[in-house]
Amino acid sequence: MTMDAILHLLHQALFGGIAAMGFGVLFNFGFRLLPWCGAAGALALAVRTLGLDDGWSLEAATFAAAIVTSCSASVLRRALGPVCNAVALAGCIPMVPGAFFGQALLSFFALTAPNPVNADQTIVLAIEYILRVIFTLGAIGAGLAIPAHLLKNREF
Amino acid sequence: MEPSSDPVVVRHRELERFANATLKAGRILMECGASVHVVHEGMTMIARGFGVEGVGIRSGYASLAITVTAGDNTITRMISVGRHAVNHRLDQAVRALAVRVSKGGMTVEETETELVRLARETPRHAPWFVALAVGLACTAFGRLFGVDWAAFLPVWAAGGIGQYIRHQLLHRGVNVFIVAGTIAFIAATLGGLGAMAVGSKTINLAMMASILLLVPGVPATNAQTDIMDGYPTMGSARAVTVLMIMVFAATGVWLAEALLGVRA
Repeated sequence: MTMDAILHLLHQALFGGIAAMGFGVLFNFGFRLLPWCGAAGALALAVRTLGLDDGWSLEAATFAAAIVTSCSASVLRRALGPVCNAVALAGCIPMVPGAFFGQALLSFFALTAPNPVNADQTIVLAIEYILRVIFTLGAIGAGLAIPAHLLKNREF
Repeated sequence: MEPSSDPVVVRHRELERFANATLKAGRILMECGASVHVVHEGMTMIARGFGVEGVGIRSGYASLAITVTAGDNTITRMISVGRHAVNHRLDQAVRALAVRVSKGGMTVEETETELVRLARETPRHAPWFVALAVGLACTAFGRLFGVDWAAFLPVWAAGGIGQYIRHQLLHRGVNVFIVAGTIAFIAATLGGLGAMAVGSKTINLAMMASILLLVPGVPATNAQTDIMDGYPTMGSARAVTVLMIMVFAATGVWLAEALLGVRA
C-alpha cells in the first residue's frame, strides 16, 4: 500500500467519523455514545475505501463495510447494550448515497427540459445514479440486518 | 350518571386504559424513528405487563391500532401518529420503560405519568449545537465525495444555517416536504455563493453537500428493515416519503443552480 493510499484511507475514515458524529447529534444520541458513532463511521468508511481501492464496486464495498460495522457493534454489545444496532446504523449513515440521489433527480429534471442537451448521455447517467442509490441503500440495509438477525441482537 | 357496576363494562374500561397507555408508548416510539418490529415489541411488552392476555397491533404511517384481550373481553382502540423524526435518547428511554412495565408492578397511571415525564424531560441537544454539528457533517460528507478544501467552511456554514432554519420551520409546524424544498434552496444557494466567493473549483458539489442534512438516511434504512420484518405496507410508505423528500430537495437545488447560473 502506497503512502498516498494510506493518506486517502485515513482521510476517508476521519471524515466518515465526523459525518457519523454530526448526524449522531441530529439523531439526539447522548454524549457517551457520540464517540462510538464516530468510531463506527470511521470503520465503515475505512472498510469501504479499502474495498474501492481494491477494485470492488461501490455496492460491494458498501455491503462489506455495513457487515463489518454491524458485526463490530454486535461484538461490543456487552459494553453498549441494546443500542449497538443504533450505533451501527449511525456509522453507516455517511455511506447513504444522498449526493447520487440528488444528482439522479437533477438529471431526470434535465431530461424534461424543452430541448435537452445530450439526452442520451443524461438518461444513462440518471439511470446509473438511481441504480447506485437503490443498490447501495440495499447493501447498507442488508449489511446491517444480516449480522443483527443472525446474532439475535436484542432491541430492548 | 352513576358509574356502571356491570363487571363486563368495568373490565372493558380497564382494558381501554391499558390499550390507551400502550398506544401512547407506541406513538412515541414511532415518532422517534423506531422500526415497526420494535414498536410492536415494545407495545406488546407494555400491554402484557398490565396483565393483558392477547395483543393484536396494526401500524400505519399515520396511526396505530391495538386490540387487547382478557378472558372473554376484547377492545380495540386507535391513536394518531405525528411527524416521524429520529430521537435516539427518547426512543431508548421508552424502550427501557417497556422493559420495566413488562416485569410487572407498574400501574397504568404510573406508566402514563412516566411517558409524559420522559417526553418532557429527556434531554435534547441545543439547536445551535445541532446546527454546528450538522453543518460539520455536511462538509465532512462533501470531503468524502470530492468537495475541495476551499469550500470546506462555506459548506459548513450553509449546512449549519440550513439546519437551524429547518429546526425553526419544523417547530412552527410547516409541512416537512415544503421545509425540504425551502432548506435545499437556501442551503444550496448559500453553499454555492460561499464556494464562488472563496474560488472553489467544485461549486456544484459544494451545493449538493450543503443539502445533505435533508437526506433521510434512517427512514431509508427503516423502510428496508420494515419490509424484511414483514411489514411491507409501512416499508413502502417510508420509501415513498423518502422519495418525496428527495424530489423536493432536488427541486430546491435545481432552483438554486438556476439562480446562480451554475447548472452542470
